[in-house]
Amino acid sequence: MSAAKDKKSAKKDADDPFDELVVSTSFDRSLLRRLLKFVKPHRALFAKSFLVLGLLFALDLVGPWLWKHAIDGPVMSAVEAKNRADKAGTTADVSVFLGEFWWWMGVYIASVLVAIWFRYLEVSQLNRTGQVVISDLRSQLFAHMQSLDLSFFDKRPTGSLVTRVTSDVENLNEMFTSGIIVLLFDLVKVAALLVILFFLDAQLAAVVLAGTPVLIGISIAFRGGARNAHRTVRAKLSRLNGYLQEVLQGIRVVQVFRREKQVSARFAEHLAGYLKANLRTIFLFALFFPAIDFAVSLIQGSTLWVGGIGIARGDLTYGEFVQFWFYVAMLVSPIRELGERYNVLQSAFASSERIFQVLDTRTIVANGPKRLAPSALTGHVRFEHVSFSYDNSVEVLNDVSFEIRPGHTVAVVGATGAGKSTIVNLLLRFYDPTSGRITLDGVDLRELDLSDLRKNFGLVLQEDFLFAGTIEENLVMDRDEVSDEALAEALEASRADEVIARLPRGLASPVAERGATFSTGERQLLAIARALAGSPKIVILDEATASVDSGTESKIEAATHELLMGKSALVVAHRLSTVRRADQILVMHRGKLRERGTHDELMQQNGIYARLHDLQFASSA
Amino acid sequence: MSRLWPFFRRFLRHKRELIPGFLCIPLATLGDVVITVVIGNALDELRLGSTTDFLAGIVAIVLGLAFVRGIFRYLQRWWVVAVSRYVENELKQELFDKLVSLPFSFHVKSRSGDIVSRVTSDVENVRMFLGPGMMYTAGAVVMIPVSMGLLLSINAPLAATMVIPLVLMGLGMKVFTPKLHVISLAVQESLAEIGHRAQENFSGIRIVKGYGREAQQVLKFEEASAINRENQIALGRSRGLTNAITHAANDFTFVVILVIGGLAMIDRSLPAGDLFKFIDLTFKVFWPIIAVGWIAGMYPRARASAERIDQLLAEPNDIAEKMPPTQIANVRGALSLRGVSFTYPNAAKPALSGITFEVPAGSVVGIVGPTGSGKTTLLLMLGRLLDTTSGEIALDGVPVRDLSLAQLRGALGYVPQDSFLFSEPYRDNVSFGIDGSLSEERLREVVDLACMTEEVARFPAGFDQLIGERGVTLSGGQRQRTCIARALAKDPHVLVLDDALSAVDTETETKLIDNLRRAGHGRTVVIAAHRLSSVASADRIVVLTRDGTMEATGKHKDLVARDGWYKDTWSRQQAQDEISVL
Repeated sequence: MSAAKDKKSAKKDADDPFDELVVSTSFDRSLLRRLLKFVKPHRALFAKSFLVLGLLFALDLVGPWLWKHAIDGPVMSAVEAKNRADKAGTTADVSVFLGEFWWWMGVYIASVLVAIWFRYLEVSQLNRTGQVVISDLRSQLFAHMQSLDLSFFDKRPTGSLVTRVTSDVENLNEMFTSGIIVLLFDLVKVAALLVILFFLDAQLAAVVLAGTPVLIGISIAFRGGARNAHRTVRAKLSRLNGYLQEVLQGIRVVQVFRREKQVSARFAEHLAGYLKANLRTIFLFALFFPAIDFAVSLIQGSTLWVGGIGIARGDLTYGEFVQFWFYVAMLVSPIRELGERYNVLQSAFASSERIFQVLDTRTIVANGPKRLAPSALTGHVRFEHVSFSYDNSVEVLNDVSFEIRPGHTVAVVGATGAGKSTIVNLLLRFYDPTSGRITLDGVDLRELDLSDLRKNFGLVLQEDFLFAGTIEENLVMDRDEVSDEALAEALEASRADEVIARLPRGLASPVAERGATFSTGERQLLAIARALAGSPKIVILDEATASVDSGTESKIEAATHELLMGKSALVVAHRLSTVRRADQILVMHRGKLRERGTHDELMQQNGIYARLHDLQFASSA
Repeated sequence: MSRLWPFFRRFLRHKRELIPGFLCIPLATLGDVVITVVIGNALDELRLGSTTDFLAGIVAIVLGLAFVRGIFRYLQRWWVVAVSRYVENELKQELFDKLVSLPFSFHVKSRSGDIVSRVTSDVENVRMFLGPGMMYTAGAVVMIPVSMGLLLSINAPLAATMVIPLVLMGLGMKVFTPKLHVISLAVQESLAEIGHRAQENFSGIRIVKGYGREAQQVLKFEEASAINRENQIALGRSRGLTNAITHAANDFTFVVILVIGGLAMIDRSLPAGDLFKFIDLTFKVFWPIIAVGWIAGMYPRARASAERIDQLLAEPNDIAEKMPPTQIANVRGALSLRGVSFTYPNAAKPALSGITFEVPAGSVVGIVGPTGSGKTTLLLMLGRLLDTTSGEIALDGVPVRDLSLAQLRGALGYVPQDSFLFSEPYRDNVSFGIDGSLSEERLREVVDLACMTEEVARFPAGFDQLIGERGVTLSGGQRQRTCIARALAKDPHVLVLDDALSAVDTETETKLIDNLRRAGHGRTVVIAAHRLSSVASADRIVVLTRDGTMEATGKHKDLVARDGWYKDTWSRQQAQDEISVL
C-alpha cells in the first residue's frame, strides 16, 4: 500500500517539471498540527515572539492615545484660556498647560524610544524563531532520508530530493517569519482595533465597520487572481528558460543545420506567451492598489462626514478625531496585506505537505537485532534460492543459489540487465530478497545490525563517487578503524600513491565536484584504496567498463589483485583477467544462474562461457 | 548612470506608453495632496456649533478626487510597468539572437549557467531598476517637493525640523547597507552549501550506505545547516536594525509634528486643520522616501548587470565569412585535410596537430582513437563550428573558409555525440534541418533508414509524439537513431556522425551502417567512433593518438594485423561485446 503510494509520488516528481508550482488547495488542519510539533520544543521562543508583537501593538496604540490627551487636554485648554483672555482683554497664563503638555510629550517620546527596541525585536526575534524551527526540521528531514532504503533514492530524481531540503524548507521559513504568526496577529489587530474604535465612538466605528468588508473583499478577490496569474508567469518563464537552455545545449546542431532564424522565431513565441502572462499580473496589480486606496478613501470620507458632524455637535473632540484617524490607518495596512500573507501560507503548506510525505516514508530494510563481532567473522556468504523483483512484477533474479567461501573470489558475468548489480544490491542489503535468504557466517542478513554488516565490506563501484573535501577525507570516510598506517599501506598496495604524488598538496588536496579532476582510471584506483584502507572481510567490486589507457589498466589490474587477496570477494567482472583468476565464475542470463565453475571447468563444459572465451581468443590472435 | 543610459533609451523608444504613463504620475500625486488639503481645510471650518451642511460636498469632492487619482494610478502602473516588460522581451530576444549567432568557440568557453543568468536575472535587474524603479522615483520626485512646499508655506519651522529624522535615517541606512549586503551574501552561500551537500549525498548514496556513513553525513549536513541558521539569524538582526531605523525616523517625525505643532497650536498660529495636513502628508510622503532608498540600493546591481549584458552583446563573432564567397556549382562531397592543427583557447597543448588525409567523394571514413584524442574537435572543424588554428580543410578542393557558411553547412548532415533533440514533437525534430516542410513520404523514408519505424509506431501519438521531459523519454539508442534521421532528412552530401552509434545494439548498428551507405548514392560519410565495430567496414580508418596526432590510417584488416592501439582495442572490445551480448 505504502509502496504503491511511494511510486505514485515518485512518478509525479519525475513527470511534472513544474512540481514546485503545485500549491496546496486548502488550509489543512492536520498539517498544521504536525508543524506545531516542531514548534513545541521552542515554545519559549514563540511565546517571546508573541509577546514582542503584543507589546509593540500596545505601543502603537498608545501613541494616538497620547496625541488625543495632549490635544484635548493642555493644547485646547491653553487655546481656550487665551481666547477667553482675548475677550477679556487680558493675557492668559498658560504655563500650567505648557507643563502638562511637556509631560504628555515626555511620555510620548519615551514610548517611541521603547518602540525602537521592539521594532528591532519584531524582525530579529521572529526570524530567529523561524530559523531555529526549520533548522531542526531540516536536520530531522535529512537524517530521516539517510535512514531510508535505497529504493527511495532510486525512484526519485536527485534534483527533486534536493528541493525537499532546500526550497521546501525555505518556504516554511517564510511561513514562520511572515506567514502564520504575523497573519494570526494581524487578525488579532484588526479585531482589537475594531473593538477599540467602537469604544471611542460607536457611530464612527459603525461607518468603518461597514467599509471593512469591502477592503477584505478586494484583498481576497485579488489574492486568487494574483496567485493564478503568478503561477502562469512562472510556468511560462520556466518554459522560456528551458528553451533557452535547450538551444544552448544543442547550439552545434542549430548552427550546423543553419536553424538560427527558426529557433529565434520559436523563442519569440515563448516570449510572447510570457509577456501575455506578465501583462495579466500587471493589470491585476494596477487594479488592486488603486481599488484598495479608493476603498480607504471611502472609509476616510465617511469618517470625516460623521466625525465632522460629531465635532460640530460637541460629541467628538479634535483629539478624538485625530486618534480615530490614526487607528483607521493602523486598521487598513494588515487588511491590505491579507491576500499576500495568505498566499505565503498556502505555498508553505504545499511545501510542508511534500516534506511530510518524505518523513512518512517508512524504511522497509530494517535493522536486525544481532550484533557481529568483527574479529570472529570469516566472511562466508551464501545465497539460498534467492529471487528478487524491484516492482513485484518482473523478476530480476530467479532462484539464485551460490556461496562465497572465506577467502574465495566469485566473479559474476552476464549482459546488462542479467541481474549482476542486483546481486550486489542484495548482498549489501540495499534491498531484501523477495524470497530465499542470504546468510553471512550462517546468519540471515535480515537478523543483523545494518551498520555492523556493512562495516565488513570493501566497496568499489563502477561509477565510484568522490565527495567534496580533501582526498584524505575521501579515503578515510570518518572510519575510526582506518589508521594512518593502514591508509599508507592501502595507498601503496593500490598504486594510488602515484596518483597522489602527482597532486601539489598530496593527501590534503581538495576534490573538485564529484572528482571531476580525476580520470575514470584514477578514480577507480582511489576507490580501491578506499576499500583497502578499511581492511574489509568481504570485497564487493563492480569493475568499470569505461575505457582507460593501457597503463592505468594494468595498474588497476594489479591493484584489484591486491584488493582481493585473502578476502572473500564478489566481483562483477568486465575484464577477463579478473574472471580467469576467480575461484568460481557465475554466468548470469536474464536473472538466472546459467553456468558456474572455475575457468577451466567452464571451458570443459563447453557452454556459453567457453564460446565467449574462444571468441576473444580468436580475435586477439 | 552612463552604463544604464543605452538601456534607458530602449525604454524611451516606447514613447506612446511611456509619456502618458509618466504624465499620470504627477496627476495622481497631485490628487493625493489635494485630498489632504481639502480634508484639512474642512476641519478648519469645523468647530463646536458650526454648520455641517458643507461636509457632504467635501466628501463628494474627496471621493471624486480619490476616483480620479485611482484611474491615474492604474494607468501609470499599466503603462510604465508594461513598457518595462516590453523592453525585457526585446532585450531577451536580442540576447538570444546574439547567442545563436555566436561561434561555437564562444559556447565552448562559456558556462551555460552564466549565460542563462545574463538573459534572466541580469535582464530582470535592469528592468526592475529602469521600470518600476523609475516609476517610484518619479512618484517620490513629485510627491516630496509638492508636499514639502505646501508644509513649508503652512509652517516653515515645523516643516524644516520634520526633515531631521529623515536625514538621520538616510545616513544610518547608508552606513548600514554594505553590512547587510555582506550578510546576505553569506546567507546565499551557506544555502548553496546545504544544497550542495544534499546533492552530493543523494548522488553518492550507494557509497554512503555501503560504508555505513549515514551518521557522519548527518553530522556534516547539520554543520552546514547550523552555519546557515546562524547566518540567517545574523541577517535577521541586521534586518531588525534597518526596521528599527526606518520606524524610528517615522515615529520621530510624528514627535516633531506633535511637539512643534502642539506648541504652535497653543500659540494659536497653527489651526487644527493644518496640523491634520502635517500628519496626513507625513503618512503619504514617508513610504515614497523609503522606496527611493530601496531603488538607490538597486543601482549598483543594475549597473553590474547592464555591464554583463553589454559584454555579451558586444561579443565578437570570429568565424567570418569571405566576401564574396567562392561558390561550388555542384557539391560532390570530397574532403581533404592538410596539416590541420587546433588549439583550444588557453590550452597548453594542441588538441590536434598535423592531421592530413583525403576523403574521396562517396567514401566512408572512420575516425577512432582514445578518449580525448580530438575526434569531436576534428568533426566540428568540418562545418567550421571551429576554425583550424593552422592547416587547411577543403571541400571539393575549395578551402572551407572561402565558402559561404550557408553552402558549407548546407552540404553537411551532422549527428552530434550527445544526441541532442528538442523537447518538441517527433516530427519537428526529424524535419528540423529542412526549409519548409518535410513530406510525409520522405519522413517515413528517413525514419525507416534510421531503423526507428517500429519504435515510432509504438508512440501513443506516432510522429506527433512530444518527446523529452513532458513527453516520452527516448533511450540513448533511440535518440541516436532519431538524430541520424534528422541528418538524413536534409539529404546531405557529407554525413558526419560523432560517436553516434554507441548506444545502438550491434545488430542494428550493422543494419544502420548498411542503410547509410545505400541511402545516399555517392554520399560521403565520416564516422567518429569509440566502438570500433562502427568503423570496421569503412573504406578508410584514421587512428588518432592521445596527443591528437595521427597514429595510423588504413583499412580494418590492415589495422588489426598491425600491433598498436587499434588492434589492442579491437580485441578487448570484441571480448566485452561478447560478454554483454550473451
